[in-house]
Amino acid sequence: MSCLQTNPATRQYLRRFAIAMSAYIALLLMVATYFHRFHPKGLFTYVLAVLPAIAIIAQIVTVGLYLAEEKDEFQRNLFIQALLWGLGGVLGVTSVWGMLESFTHIPHFQPTWTFSLFWIFVGVCTPFLMRRYR
Amino acid sequence: MKNRLRVLRAERNWSQAELADRLEVSRQSVNAIETGKFDPSLPLAFKLARLFSMGIEEIFTDES
Repeated sequence: MSCLQTNPATRQYLRRFAIAMSAYIALLLMVATYFHRFHPKGLFTYVLAVLPAIAIIAQIVTVGLYLAEEKDEFQRNLFIQALLWGLGGVLGVTSVWGMLESFTHIPHFQPTWTFSLFWIFVGVCTPFLMRRYR
Repeated sequence: MKNRLRVLRAERNWSQAELADRLEVSRQSVNAIETGKFDPSLPLAFKLARLFSMGIEEIFTDES
């Protein structure tokens, strides 16, 4: 997150986010490998499938903690604006895609991509937001 | 909201980074306030007022 300046709250955020992201990648690989090799059945299947999503929820919690801990109100404001642009972008794209899916024959949008799409929008809009306050 | 931050800072020969350190905020925050692109919260405005030993209304001018 280039909009974030180096301060204790930012460092803590980046550390937590890196841990959650690493956990997500590790869990996703482990779950995918397990499904591929052992073809689990029953309730265990659901428990396994949800594991990577827990790491995604941890990333969302990390964002919330950063907003609570960041003392620099301008940086907090900038980050909130970036998050809102990300939210608006992802809601807009998924709404348009959903309508297209309903009435045309375009491929199905996997909801698991929503989180990645959100961060892509946040990342793209951040430099523009920063330029506004230069 | 207009403010006299740049002038007050120049009178004390402080850089934006120095003022930012004293306020415990980022240099970007000071720049955004100085240029009127970001209005500080009341606690930050009080902090600025204390730092310059002035009243808030002597630093900030309400344009409405």
